[in-house]
Amino acid sequence: MRVNPNPLPDLLAALQQTQQQINTDLQQISSGQSVIVPSDDPGAAAELVQNAAQTSAADQFLRSIGSVQGEVANADSTLSSVTTALQRAISLGVEAANGTLNASDRAAIATEVQGIQSQLVSLANLSYQGSYVFAGTATQTAPYVVDPTSPSGVTYVGNSSTNSITLGNHFTLQTNVPGSQLFSAAGNDMFQSIQDLLTGLQTGTGIAAAVGEVTSAANYLDAQRVFYGNASNQLTAQQTYLNSDITALAEQQNTLGGADLATAITNLTSAETAHQATLAAVAGANQPNLFSYIK
Amino acid sequence: MSSLNASLAIALSGLTAEQGALEVTTNNVANVNTPGYSRQVPNLVSSDPIVIDPLTLGTGVTLQSIESIRDPILESSIQQETQTQGQLNAQVAALQQTQVNFTTSTSDIGTEITNFFNSINQLSASPADLSVRQGVLTAAGNLASSFNTTANNLTQQQTSLDQNVVQTVGQINQLSQQIAQLNGQINHLESDGESAGSFVDQRQQAIDQLSSLVNVSVIPSNNSLILTTANGTPLVLGTQSFQLQTQPNAAGLHEVYAGGTNITSLITSGQLGGTLQVRDQQIPAIQAELDTLAAGLANAVNGVQAAGYDLNGKLGTNLFNPPPAGGTGAAASLSVAITDPALIAASSDGTSGSNGNAEAMYALSTQAGIDGQTPTDYYSGIVFNVGNDVSNATAEQSASTQVLQQLNDQRASISGVSLDQEAANMVQYQNAYAASAQVVTTINTMMYDVLQMNVLNG
Repeated sequence: MRVNPNPLPDLLAALQQTQQQINTDLQQISSGQSVIVPSDDPGAAAELVQNAAQTSAADQFLRSIGSVQGEVANADSTLSSVTTALQRAISLGVEAANGTLNASDRAAIATEVQGIQSQLVSLANLSYQGSYVFAGTATQTAPYVVDPTSPSGVTYVGNSSTNSITLGNHFTLQTNVPGSQLFSAAGNDMFQSIQDLLTGLQTGTGIAAAVGEVTSAANYLDAQRVFYGNASNQLTAQQTYLNSDITALAEQQNTLGGADLATAITNLTSAETAHQATLAAVAGANQPNLFSYIK
Repeated sequence: MSSLNASLAIALSGLTAEQGALEVTTNNVANVNTPGYSRQVPNLVSSDPIVIDPLTLGTGVTLQSIESIRDPILESSIQQETQTQGQLNAQVAALQQTQVNFTTSTSDIGTEITNFFNSINQLSASPADLSVRQGVLTAAGNLASSFNTTANNLTQQQTSLDQNVVQTVGQINQLSQQIAQLNGQINHLESDGESAGSFVDQRQQAIDQLSSLVNVSVIPSNNSLILTTANGTPLVLGTQSFQLQTQPNAAGLHEVYAGGTNITSLITSGQLGGTLQVRDQQIPAIQAELDTLAAGLANAVNGVQAAGYDLNGKLGTNLFNPPPAGGTGAAASLSVAITDPALIAASSDGTSGSNGNAEAMYALSTQAGIDGQTPTDYYSGIVFNVGNDVSNATAEQSASTQVLQQLNDQRASISGVSLDQEAANMVQYQNAYAASAQVVTTINTMMYDVLQMNVLNG
């Protein structure tokens, strides 16, 4: 049977193939990636797009949690100061209600309570990074304005809206409680109770009742403060979750698109062996033919 | 009656025939590396005998013809496979360029979509912060320009493929002209009863080249050949060639015409077929998907903008310039409509601290709003399609390469020049030549003997 007298083109094609395999393996080993262009593995390339989006979104959630955390922590510690101030007002009120104090002693106490009142106004007007934290969503103006004509001594100019923010897939968190709910709730109006205490101290009557009001407002506020404690806990928990999620995503990314170095190196070795064998074959193709023997 | 002269003539015919045969061998050896060359064999036949009663005497040998060894069925399989190969080569080369646009980078569309939504999430955490708002505008601008860049790259690639189409049609015309000329030469030689082997080889080579450019059907007719493309459109009829023309269509892309008929959609294989397929089907399909994504995103974002309030407490206006109706060209023209960061409608109640509308905008990232998918899912679908196109075409290409290689091996085993064989032939012809020459010498001696005989008698 007659055979192809010139095997060189086939050998060259084989050389090209082994060279291509070597290049692919080297690229995988040097880049650590098995999916460099989408055609390397279309399915994995598409999943990698989603993986990158999820990772990037999780990173952003962590940044947003950082922003929210600052505000929540600030609000929480401010509410703690408010409680302390109210406790001081209560002890002053109890002292004044004793009945043994004269008018000038009460006036001295009243001055101190006035100090507490303005401290409370300033605490309720807490501003964090340019936003008033207890103003509902009307965050650009201080929510409490001193107003002598108001029965409580202040006017609330914020609103009663709240913000919620997405901080994960299927995880949204309310980030604020408006002052109208915290400090000016009907029946537990902190400013009203302090104003009542002040009036009592000035007139000498109804001090005990006012102390009762302040106590009730302080207890109410303590209950409200739980919101910020919860929020802070949830943020920390979400942070932990997101960090483990990012680790899982990185693992997935590596499984999808990372080069399997052991396999790549094995492939490279076998491709190199094949390449050398083919090179030897090409060199061997230059065999003498019958012409070489004709004298 | 036999004669010495007759023997001398027979010996001479042997010398001539072996010389001719040696020439064929020499020619084969000389063409051992000529592409498309088919080995030739001398066709030696014994000359017509003469009858001198009661003897029938041979009159020597004649080199009747020189035959090129080829298998027409194999040639036609090679030509078919060359068409497929040409188509896949063009397709793979073009699509590999296309897919670079969809390789994950710091500024591909997928990354910019995520960055945009990330900036919205940041805005949701600090809705009144102007620098965060500026961040949203920047991300929106980057998103728009990533769409613009990708869409423009695709259009540019389409334009350069279009230039390929025009060039390829030029090459096709040149080759069909060449084939028509060769048809003439072959026809001329063969009608004179001569062998046109090397012209046939050249023609086959030209047909193979033509096959790599466009789908061709070969219909042999006596001593000549008819070549048709795309549904029977003639390219070569005997010695006449028909030129293909190109004319730009409304979109500025060139369509292929044969004798006034548009045959663009009928060209399915060869380099021209592959190029047309990428230019007219695959790239437009990707463009349409990008347009759907860009228009869907822009409209959805604008819709949410209109439902909320900006930092000034006014109802939101378009963040992106509205995409063209129907979406065609949306990716190329996507642009941000506002420059004042205060105009982003983050608020749902008109107060500057509200993030309700920013949340609604962020929710678009997980809503199945683009053709039933989220923006990222839709984009990853495009990446899959592009990658799949390339990987399928590459797989077909390597399969076709294998087939073609095998067919070429077969052709070489039939038509290729084997130096061993030629050397053996050469030795054979040389020996026969030497023998004939020896016969001449012997006859010469015999003639001399005869002449000597006369001298003695006289």
